[in-house]
Amino acid sequence: MKIIELSKVFVKGDQKHRLSNINMSICSGEKIALIGANGAGKSSLISAINGTLKVDMGNATWHGSDLSKLKPRQRLQIATIWQDLRLIEELNVIQNINSGALGYHNFIWSLLNIFSPIESDLCLSYLEAVQLPKELLYKPLKELSGGQLKRVALRQKANLLLADEPIANLDQILLKEIIELLTGKKKSNSIIIPETVLISIHDTNLINSFTRVIGLYEGEIIIDKPTNELDLSELNSLYH
Amino acid sequence: MKKIYLNHTTLTFFPSLAIIPVFIAFLRESHSGGFEIVSDFFIAIIYPSFNHVVIESAWRGLQVTLCTALLSWIFSTSIGIMLAVISSNVFWKAFDIDESVGVFIRRCLAIPRAIHELVWGLLLQAFLGLSPLIAILAISIPYTAIVSRVLSDQFDSISQDNLIAIKQTGSRPLSTFITASINKMIPIIINYGGYRLECSLRSATLLGVFGLGGIGTELQLSFQSLEFREMWTSFWMLGLLMLGLENIIALFRNKFLSKATLSWKSLRNLIITLFVIFIFSLTWLRVLDINLFTDISWHHITIPSVIDFWQASLELEWIRLITGTLLLTFLSAGIAIGIPPITMMLVPTRLGIKLQSCLWTFLRLIPAPISAMILLLCSSPSIAVAALALGIHNLGVMGRLLKEGIDQQNNNLFNAIQASGANSNSTWLYAKLTVQSRSYLAYAAYRMDVLLRETAVVGLVGGVGLGWQLQESLSSFYWAQVILVIITFISMTIIGETISDRFSRYLLNSKSPIGIALKP
Amino acid sequence: MSKELNIPVRYIPVTSYPATVNAFRTKSLDLVWFGGLTGVQARLQTKGSKVIAQRDIDERFHSVFIANTSSNLTRIKSIEGLRVLKGKRFTFGSESSTSGRLMPQYYLQKAGVKTTDFKGRVPGFSGSHDATIALVQSGSYQAGVLNEKVWESNLRRGRINPSKVIVIWKTPKYHDYHWLAQGNLDKRFGKGFTEKLKNTLLGFNKKVPNQRKILNLFQANRFIPSNSSNYNNIERIGRQLKKIR
Repeated sequence: MKIIELSKVFVKGDQKHRLSNINMSICSGEKIALIGANGAGKSSLISAINGTLKVDMGNATWHGSDLSKLKPRQRLQIATIWQDLRLIEELNVIQNINSGALGYHNFIWSLLNIFSPIESDLCLSYLEAVQLPKELLYKPLKELSGGQLKRVALRQKANLLLADEPIANLDQILLKEIIELLTGKKKSNSIIIPETVLISIHDTNLINSFTRVIGLYEGEIIIDKPTNELDLSELNSLYH
Repeated sequence: MKKIYLNHTTLTFFPSLAIIPVFIAFLRESHSGGFEIVSDFFIAIIYPSFNHVVIESAWRGLQVTLCTALLSWIFSTSIGIMLAVISSNVFWKAFDIDESVGVFIRRCLAIPRAIHELVWGLLLQAFLGLSPLIAILAISIPYTAIVSRVLSDQFDSISQDNLIAIKQTGSRPLSTFITASINKMIPIIINYGGYRLECSLRSATLLGVFGLGGIGTELQLSFQSLEFREMWTSFWMLGLLMLGLENIIALFRNKFLSKATLSWKSLRNLIITLFVIFIFSLTWLRVLDINLFTDISWHHITIPSVIDFWQASLELEWIRLITGTLLLTFLSAGIAIGIPPITMMLVPTRLGIKLQSCLWTFLRLIPAPISAMILLLCSSPSIAVAALALGIHNLGVMGRLLKEGIDQQNNNLFNAIQASGANSNSTWLYAKLTVQSRSYLAYAAYRMDVLLRETAVVGLVGGVGLGWQLQESLSSFYWAQVILVIITFISMTIIGETISDRFSRYLLNSKSPIGIALKP
Repeated sequence: MSKELNIPVRYIPVTSYPATVNAFRTKSLDLVWFGGLTGVQARLQTKGSKVIAQRDIDERFHSVFIANTSSNLTRIKSIEGLRVLKGKRFTFGSESSTSGRLMPQYYLQKAGVKTTDFKGRVPGFSGSHDATIALVQSGSYQAGVLNEKVWESNLRRGRINPSKVIVIWKTPKYHDYHWLAQGNLDKRFGKGFTEKLKNTLLGFNKKVPNQRKILNLFQANRFIPSNSSNYNNIERIGRQLKKIR
């Protein structure tokens, strides 16, 4: 079933298009790796899919509704892990983990979380899944290492998970584990694995965890095929 | 056992606890006896006087007030910036000199700040005679100290880390200081400087009573005789001027700050513009037949002896005065600081914020004595009425500061949280307020200072506190008592400042969570 | 006045009581229309200054105590009757006003009512006579006191609702407002100048249109001579109530 559909999407940039004539769809259950050099438009594509970047031309829809006009209840289905993490420095670890789940709760719960963080099962299971020690829960963010912060940012649950290079700075073993976790290759009963994921990555060695690869070059999709049909040498064309 | 966590965001909400007792007390004593006059007041808003005499004198007054405001604004911000530099810790650190020098200068600057501009006006006038210059000095002296305090705090909070890094490259102290702070400070200075113009305008209005004329005199005269329609003619003019200036400044600020890097050329243009405004205001006052430099000469008063001071201190009911002042300050601060985040959080829509912003402008426009009068017509006198009057006037200021901070925030976090499906209230709370809360609390601490001094102006609710006592002593020309009360104000300001400094440092550096345990 | 005196005369409005006194003391103003108390304060602080005139009505000035009808306060027969104000919410006018504060406080004290006897332990200071009327009429304050002239003019203009606010007592007469001039005017403008100034003021006449306008603004028929001894009583009371040091 198609959940996301982009057709003839253009996004203007300062000099050239940030996204140019993008035609793609995402079906439920796909695990997509998004590959491209710096500035190829990976972040723009992710922002267009989560609706925070309004497209200048073309259609971008989620189950048929315009992505930039989704209701909160619909947005809940799409989670994003941002390149710059976008955590709330003022709040501590548990509050930040909870802030990924604001959409599932009412406003009173959000307010309570500011005053007295709520140690939900969900929040504890995330911590376990990303292998953070429980002692960190009440630490302010500024006391965490870069790698720990990234793991805090992996806090969301949704049908479609978008992640913008979430894994730089993590050590290799953990990196692999997290990718496997996000793509559902490694089963974990403590965390709800999103059905569908789209992750932008740098390290092409990781693509085996994915079912499909999309390659971006200067705002255009030049590769889009299942991983098992991909010749690794094709990827080189993305990096010059 | 549940714990409540203290962070800047939760602290932002605590002041609002004051709302409950104040509103209960106000409503319990409320009555409808003043309905006619209060409705006259509100009807006059849409029905101001168009009598040409009224309009003409208000128009002249407006020009005088604007020039006074511009002059005192330029004085106080330019000197304030210089004092901010030398009272910041980083400046002295750049020279490898102990930062206690900065602390010392900061504490000294608490003295001019602790005295309300109206009181400065009376004191200066007692020594120098009646001159239009008095109003400008009376505004500039405390404002310079306020600007320097706010900006030196900003210098310190911004440049600390940079400084160490740059210093290691071995550059000279002064250039170290400049590189460490200038790029981040210029936008802050420009934002804050712009905001000070409106403050100057409000104070210049208040100081119309010193023979300088100005729209304040018109307002006061029509208010004293309850001619609300005439009063609103002046208010409308003043309000439009305030809005106009706000927009000009916003326009200018956006233009100036839109460039990625600040060039020396644009900085130079800024200084030239200010200089032109300065000369222009002086000339304009001259055209209005006001010469700033007449009638200044020194007139000393007999200095009170130790016995006078002793006698004066015995006549004061210290405990009642100080507790009254503190209570009034805390209650009004609670309203001023606590309400804007809550209302913005509850109605964070574009229209909602716009409406709130208009309401804040209205509240800032009405001086506390006038709102006190209107509130007092609805409820019997109590400290709640006084706190409410002071609180809502300053609420307008706090709301503006909060909104301005938020407007300049980038939208990344907001987009992220909104995209995660959070409702609009939660999104505002997490993406806007949490980010602003630290600087909002800093402004809140400065506002406490202001409120402490402003307790002077709500005497009609029943003389409460030191501010009122100061007016009484001044009007009795009892200098020994005046000096004592002023010293008390200064001490309270310094103590308050020390406590808030310590507390904010504690909050910033605390390694472990700070929690208040609540019994289950 | 400029025409009569042959010198430029400039009107400077100063609306704060203590600011006016300071301005006179520092010789920034030469001739000031003072209230009773502030006039005495200014004269005592300024050597040589002279009282030169007052209005015809200032010889027999009165304050009126007013009360909201719901407070159940009724007309008071004698000064002792003021004691009924104990425990009521009560407001004065401005803190330096003679008719709105000083004299009323004196009579209250004479009747044995201290300012701490009012409800809330402090009296209010409404800031102006008109405000006193409004606040008492609204019921926020149960009683208050103000300048009789302001009460009368409000009554004439229909701004008073007699079913809500009534006069409960009128004080005995006392001297109030007056013109106070610097003592050095003769030296600066020539011998006999002060006298000339005084005569100009006293010569104001309702038959001359311009002067009628001025006198009407002053609510007076004419100005009459006055001298400092008329204000000895105010000075004594001022000292007693610690408004004069």
